[in-house]
Amino acid sequence: MALLPLVRGLSLGAVGFLLGGGLAAGIRGLMGLDPWSAEPVIVVGYVFGLIGWLLGVGLWGTWAREWLGLAPKKDHVHDWRRYFRFCTDHKVIGVQYLVTFMVIMLLGGLLAVLMRVELMQPGKTLMGPGQFNNAMSLHGILMVAVAVATIMGGFANFLVPLLIGAEDVAFPRLNALSYWIIPPVAVLLLATPLMGGFDAGWTAYPPLSVINAPGQTLYLLAFLTFGISSIVGGMNFLATIITLRAPGMSWSRLPIFVWSIFAAALISLTATQFVAYGLLMIILERVAGTSFFNSAQGGAPLLYQHIFWFYSHPAVYIMILPAFGVVLEVLAHFSRKPLFAYKWVVGAFLSIVVLSFFVWAHHLFTSGMADYLHLPFMVTTELISIPTGVVFLAGLGTIWLGRLWLTTPMLFALGFLFNFLIGGITGIFLADVPTDIQLQDTYFVVAHFHYTIMGGEVFAIMAGGYYWFPKITGRMYNDRLGKLHFWWMLVTYNLTFLPMFWAGVQGMNRRVADFPPELAGVNLFASIASFFLAASFVVLVYNLVVSWKRGPVAAANPWRARTLEWQTTSPPPLENFPAEPQVMGSPYDYGVPGSVHSRPGIAGGAQEVKHAQG
Amino acid sequence: MTKWDLFPLAAAEEARVVDDAFRVLMIMSVPVFTFVLAALLYAIPRFRKGGEPAGDGPAIHTHGPTVATWFLATTALTLLVIVFPGTTGLLELRHHAAREPDLVVKVEGTRFFWKMTYPQQGVLSVTELVLPVGKRVRFEVTATDVVHSFWIPAFRTKIDAVPGLVTTTHVTPDKTGSFQEDSFFRLQCAELCGVAHSLMQTPVRVVEQSEFESWVAKQVPAPSS
Repeated sequence: MALLPLVRGLSLGAVGFLLGGGLAAGIRGLMGLDPWSAEPVIVVGYVFGLIGWLLGVGLWGTWAREWLGLAPKKDHVHDWRRYFRFCTDHKVIGVQYLVTFMVIMLLGGLLAVLMRVELMQPGKTLMGPGQFNNAMSLHGILMVAVAVATIMGGFANFLVPLLIGAEDVAFPRLNALSYWIIPPVAVLLLATPLMGGFDAGWTAYPPLSVINAPGQTLYLLAFLTFGISSIVGGMNFLATIITLRAPGMSWSRLPIFVWSIFAAALISLTATQFVAYGLLMIILERVAGTSFFNSAQGGAPLLYQHIFWFYSHPAVYIMILPAFGVVLEVLAHFSRKPLFAYKWVVGAFLSIVVLSFFVWAHHLFTSGMADYLHLPFMVTTELISIPTGVVFLAGLGTIWLGRLWLTTPMLFALGFLFNFLIGGITGIFLADVPTDIQLQDTYFVVAHFHYTIMGGEVFAIMAGGYYWFPKITGRMYNDRLGKLHFWWMLVTYNLTFLPMFWAGVQGMNRRVADFPPELAGVNLFASIASFFLAASFVVLVYNLVVSWKRGPVAAANPWRARTLEWQTTSPPPLENFPAEPQVMGSPYDYGVPGSVHSRPGIAGGAQEVKHAQG
Repeated sequence: MTKWDLFPLAAAEEARVVDDAFRVLMIMSVPVFTFVLAALLYAIPRFRKGGEPAGDGPAIHTHGPTVATWFLATTALTLLVIVFPGTTGLLELRHHAAREPDLVVKVEGTRFFWKMTYPQQGVLSVTELVLPVGKRVRFEVTATDVVHSFWIPAFRTKIDAVPGLVTTTHVTPDKTGSFQEDSFFRLQCAELCGVAHSLMQTPVRVVEQSEFESWVAKQVPAPSS
């Protein structure tokens, strides 16, 4: 039976949940408390249920048996059923991530459309303010997850081992774990409406997040679990990039996309713990009655905001650094010119990693934190525009004098530069304290971060998606539909979000279901534009689905690109390359006579034999 | 309000500082935006090939003078916005805040309304925030349940109302007006606080001193604490 692992996972998950829930109820009973209090039962039940799910879905068979001295079971499935199993092939995991987060992106988009329907006119349109807050909060976390995991989990999984000439990632089983821990996250989030939803936004500031509906607890557990996946994934990529580069793949020959993943992985490994602690503290407030954030018992609500943003600001660089990587990769190959100022870009990525840890309090300029913190955090935040400027220099320098091939991915990469330019410039308004005092918590902020994350990162996801589609699926997408999608999305995207800057300046605060009647015009305009924006995704999904099934078979290297993933078949075989490739030079030496990036390894050659024996 | 002002209405001395900073940043943004956009709009049609290009472009890996110029220019611009209008604006707001207030208003946010207490006058109001024009006001803000944010768009002032903490912000209204004339005269909660967050607003009215005094006379006396 094809879906047996899923059935096993669900059954063991249910058993675990009952065990954990019963344990919690029993302990509560012994303590003389009401045994069936929903939240403690759910929290403990979930922890056991999660372990049961993971063991059942494949952790037991492929891994945990070893802990007891048993031989792990080998899975010999090689067809589509791999995608529904605990499969350790990084390419399968990459596709699992990409498809999962594509679906989540569409769900989050649907919620955005519902929100825009509500905001078409002042007063109640579709949902009441309560439902609006729930929809807004759910939209927020779904899209944050999409932004964190689509490139880091999807593209990076599929491509990093290929780009560095490796057979797989350093810890394939951990890699599978990092994916299979995500379905429970999705289940929890989609179950929140059954328990009253959660209306505190994805930021979950206490005390609101301590006193609202039980749906909040499901949200906290979901985010916490997702964080574990991020930490594990980040560690895996660091280990992979440090230890598994093919012979000759020196750090100075590393494709820029790999560098961007390396930089983002440094952040996701080291920063995510902080948000996990913050979320755990709120869970404890709710189920154990601690008082970290309860001022009546000596707690401090502001403490949470510092912990939260100590992760969540670096997290935006987990989103955007890989986007820079994808875009620069695409620009170089389709300009057929070396990536301009490569070493400066690497320096820029690494300095963004360092700076990202020193800027979090710019989210707190109006929070009531000590005044003397304003100046230093304004300075560090604005310093980030210098390395970001280097990325623009590299982009413009690469296309300058190039031979531009305006394919669909190239158009999306260029669209990224335009959108991110607006997102970056408007960021200065929010980093400067005097302007931020007025603009904080208004639609100006909403417009700004959608310009960086949707206009920026999602455009990069599209660039990468079309660029690597033939490699991942072995088939070619429809180019006309791809270009239609680009122009449609670029125009409707800007028509939706540009007016939001205006709405913010005109006094519209964010996260509101209602607004002053003067703002009716701009909101109606943004809403109508957003419906057309949503429709552009129909073109995308149609193109992806039909091309994946029936598109023309893709060549190994349809773009004549030099990087290693294109030097093997589309899609690549299980072991990626017949033998370990030899890297001879830079991946970007377009126009350099006689230059070679790599040479295929000889199967059974000296290197391969040594490798096999090693 | 002139036709060219981006913000609809500014009614406090501090608001001018914020609007000036906004204007300076707008003016600085225009050349940066135009430069990058112009480079893109020139390069894309100029260097595009109709379809798959036959050969490669020139092997330019980097160009020292360009990189150096770019790096220096972006660094200079960044330092500029840090100093002006960032630091200068911040210092100006601090300078305003350091002056002795003529009037203290204690503001307390509770889901989903604001309570304003005037300790010097001994009155309180939950329906309206009334202030005399031309007087320095210090708001002492707190909350009783969850985090709220005290925001009056016309004054460009915003400070969170945090349970267990008293935060302050200073405003000198320099223009009379009321919510009925312009929705910028409203005290709006700007931090998500629950179901009726968007409705958590109180009308603001800035009046002459004499009118303020007669308004005070009609208010409920605040319980002494």
